[in-house]
Amino acid sequence: MRYATSRIEESQEHAPGSFNPLKPMKAVLTDVRDENSDVKTYRLKVGDGFSRSAAAGQFNMLGYPGIGEAPISFSGIGEDGEIEHTIRAVGMATRFIERMRKGSEMLIRGPYGRGWPLGAAKGKDLLLVAGGVGLAPIRPVIRQIMKNRADFGEVTLLIGSRNDEGLIFTNEYSAWQKAMSVEITVDELVTKKPWNYRVGLITALLNRVKMKAENAVAFICGPELMMRFICRALLLKGAAAGSLSVSLERRMRCGIAQCGHCQHVGFFVCRDGPVFPYKQVEGLFDGLL
Amino acid sequence: MSGNGTTGGPGSRIFDLIVPKRSFFSWLDSLRGRFSLVGPVTEDGQTEFRELGSSHEMDMEYQSTMLSPGKVYLYKPREDLFRFSLGKSVEVREPETDQEQRVIIGLHACDTNAVRYLDLTFLGSFRDPQYAARRKNTVIISLNCARSGENCFCASAGAGPFLEGNDGYDMLLTDLGEDYLVELKSGRALELFPVDGGSPAGEDAFRFKQEKEQAVVHSFRKKLDMDGLNGLLSKRPDHPVWRATAEDRCLSCTNCVMVCPTCFCYDVIDEISMDLKSVRRYRQWDACQDAHFAEVHGGNFRARRTARLRQFTTHKLDQTHQYGVFGTVGCGRGITWCPTGIDITDIAKEVQKSEVGSER
Repeated sequence: MRYATSRIEESQEHAPGSFNPLKPMKAVLTDVRDENSDVKTYRLKVGDGFSRSAAAGQFNMLGYPGIGEAPISFSGIGEDGEIEHTIRAVGMATRFIERMRKGSEMLIRGPYGRGWPLGAAKGKDLLLVAGGVGLAPIRPVIRQIMKNRADFGEVTLLIGSRNDEGLIFTNEYSAWQKAMSVEITVDELVTKKPWNYRVGLITALLNRVKMKAENAVAFICGPELMMRFICRALLLKGAAAGSLSVSLERRMRCGIAQCGHCQHVGFFVCRDGPVFPYKQVEGLFDGLL
Repeated sequence: MSGNGTTGGPGSRIFDLIVPKRSFFSWLDSLRGRFSLVGPVTEDGQTEFRELGSSHEMDMEYQSTMLSPGKVYLYKPREDLFRFSLGKSVEVREPETDQEQRVIIGLHACDTNAVRYLDLTFLGSFRDPQYAARRKNTVIISLNCARSGENCFCASAGAGPFLEGNDGYDMLLTDLGEDYLVELKSGRALELFPVDGGSPAGEDAFRFKQEKEQAVVHSFRKKLDMDGLNGLLSKRPDHPVWRATAEDRCLSCTNCVMVCPTCFCYDVIDEISMDLKSVRRYRQWDACQDAHFAEVHGGNFRARRTARLRQFTTHKLDQTHQYGVFGTVGCGRGITWCPTGIDITDIAKEVQKSEVGSER
């Protein structure tokens, strides 16, 4: 096998001389909203060019000097040069971000990676399955469907959460329900609030989906174990393996297929994903799919 | 790096020269001042690439080095990325790109191919400005090997012992005893090297080169049949060899990664000044053998030593869909410098052996 370098010569000619892909740019926090006790949605002013180049399912490296950067998927892509990220505060970078207030500056790089194959879903029935904060990367898809509802057939959204306290975007469900069927379940109830939805695992909701699996396209985002069982159940129901997409999470330092942390059996999750056709990542070692 | 296939075969004239070694070295020394020279220097039995005061310091018969020249002089162990000053508003400053003009002499075929491999990472989908600048400012003079080392398996990997192709480097030397066969591979080499500095190399020189290559190829003690290897190792993630090798012998010391000329992974680290007013962001080599490498909140995709050794090994001997080539150049460093003597070619052979068995 030869170590050919033709691709390199090409990229050297076309690459702009001074562009440094690791250099972050400034973004101003224009709004912060609590979703639940440890999840917030942050609205950021980034400029028209940036938000227009972004696609649902892609991510940004978000951070601050001294804190580092973390890969976070878009939870909203505005046409007004504003974007949204919905973040659970669990690590060094995200806990720092949690303490930021409206008007603060953040540093951002992106958009990176491959998003949801929305083009391929046009004219078809669409099943969206989200577990926990996995609903965040699905939300831009929901918004696009609402805007161009006629482009899609039946649309069903399944939302799962560990408990009723962990649900996010709860004040948007009623608007979503006007455009699609929304089914919600939690593993357990922990608050005393009235509950009109279901209790149990998200896989049980699949039985309530009316669309025919063989005609549907599915976008799935959540813990890998959840995605594995959803995908296997859908395949058993007759879904075509190529019609299922999943979004993967890995450690990332660069977002540009260099630092190697996100490598998954030869894929750079940051560049080749984070959204993958399920059949591409099914059964790979070092993963749960 | 404008090698465009104009040279390389018998019959091409002014680009392929027979040059007395004496004249070659005095030409090298004449470059000092315009270029810093880097070459192999042997001290106490160990060779390393270092900056030269004179070409006399070089050991052109060297076997191998611990670190590859590409990872020391092009992709540095540690590199500043940005300085941030923290005030009301954050200011970002980029360091200047490295403009040092450098000539690296004596890269073996494996290490030259390793530089081509690093190009795929740092000049591929996204171009790293610092690496690109160094690549542009570095003249690479490669050297065909005169013999094979104990752990070398470049002949199996298709990456040596003689260098093939005309791209990605500037000149190629083959030792002909008193002379070098000097093949000029780039426009830059044509400009730098005096064409009248030697006599045109004829067909006999290339015939001699070919014979010599055959002799070196036949001298290899370490061999690995790499046909069909891609896909085979990743198809057997549960093969007992992974666990047996990792749990019994792997120390997770990361030596294999540090000495590997193609390992490109890095970590990004922010260092805050004592007065909290500025931040230095730098990157440094990182290793998939480190326990935290693939850790995310709530889990670690390679928590087990077995998984980490399997990642390293398959990245070298499988997973060619990543760049279209194997990740190994067969330099043997990972084997040489493993404190417990783990040999990825042995691991591959174990899997191959059981594959043959299972087909029966």
